[in-house]
Amino acid sequence: MERVRDKTMTRGILLFAFNIPNVNYVEMAVETAKRSNYFLNLPVTLITDNISAGSIKDYIFDNILFASAQTENNKNNMPWYNKGRYRAFELTPYDETIILDTDYLINSDRLLHIFDCYDDFCCHNSTSFLMQPNLGQEYLSNLSFQTLWATVIAFKKTRRTQHIFECLEMVQNNYEHYENIHKFIGGVFRNDFSLTLALRIANGHIDNKQDIIPWNLIHSGRNTTLYKNTDKTFNTEYTVMFDNWRNGKIRKEYTIIKDCDFHVMNKKNFVEIMK
Amino acid sequence: MDTKSLINEAKARFSHNAAKSLLKDKYESKLIVADQGGLWKATPELIGFLSINTNENIVLIDNHNNPVLVNRVQLYETLHKIYTDTMNLWLTEWKELETKR
Repeated sequence: MERVRDKTMTRGILLFAFNIPNVNYVEMAVETAKRSNYFLNLPVTLITDNISAGSIKDYIFDNILFASAQTENNKNNMPWYNKGRYRAFELTPYDETIILDTDYLINSDRLLHIFDCYDDFCCHNSTSFLMQPNLGQEYLSNLSFQTLWATVIAFKKTRRTQHIFECLEMVQNNYEHYENIHKFIGGVFRNDFSLTLALRIANGHIDNKQDIIPWNLIHSGRNTTLYKNTDKTFNTEYTVMFDNWRNGKIRKEYTIIKDCDFHVMNKKNFVEIMK
Repeated sequence: MDTKSLINEAKARFSHNAAKSLLKDKYESKLIVADQGGLWKATPELIGFLSINTNENIVLIDNHNNPVLVNRVQLYETLHKIYTDTMNLWLTEWKELETKR
């Protein structure tokens, strides 16, 4: 497909944020939105519920769309309102949308390059961990596919992407059935697993290379803590501290990362470095 | 506490492996470019091929395995510039980190 952009198409970022007792996702969304405006010069739409919206401070979103949180998911005995991403297709006000997790830390304009290299849908299929370069890729299970990541999803509104989002809804509604077929560890609904299955179904059970973002998603994972190196408002340089367990002892290791986007799995740490 | 004191206090060691891998992820992503309707990675092999070929237009297989008719010189210039700029930045950052302990 010829990658020529219709200049009248609108572009923007879409964030889903539903607060839970221990995590203020809206607060994180505000920080991600500020960084999206600064580094990408893109408007941001927030999808949230009435209660969570009350925690928006010092920021005006391009749009705030209200939706009820789908509350029937738990992680580590805590509620986790991550369902309902399939609604992105109907709710987005943009022709070209990037859905981001609120804990995705933007430090560069890298995401803009996605618009140059996709047809109508793309996401990450490979990851790297900041301090564990040798970790392998994640699979749904030993019997199933390599996981796709819902942390960053870019899409245009087309008939095909509509099918993908409809499949996402179908997988979410029949998650236990897919758990049984693919033998993955169930109980907790994961958008990553749902996306992995939905995209394959929509593509007729084949891998479509054109749906993959051609670089790795970088995670800051377990035992990893980030510290910002400067007090600039939009700091882009961090020290990454890692507790490397060997023979029952912790060896502290560190590295420095700058001007590079990454996904912070530790929500508390994300909030700390945004202060 | 600033990060230097933190590193000293924790007696943390700089992980060259992690730094090397991170730089590879960071800079390899910058070598990928969309041009003339195809997606390309600026590699020495592709740049070398474009430089020795003499045709004005050639068909190449892009990163998505699609054949794309390209203006050879235009693609060469784009990829050569991206490769040179990116590798220089990669080297500079690597030199900064290489000396850390």
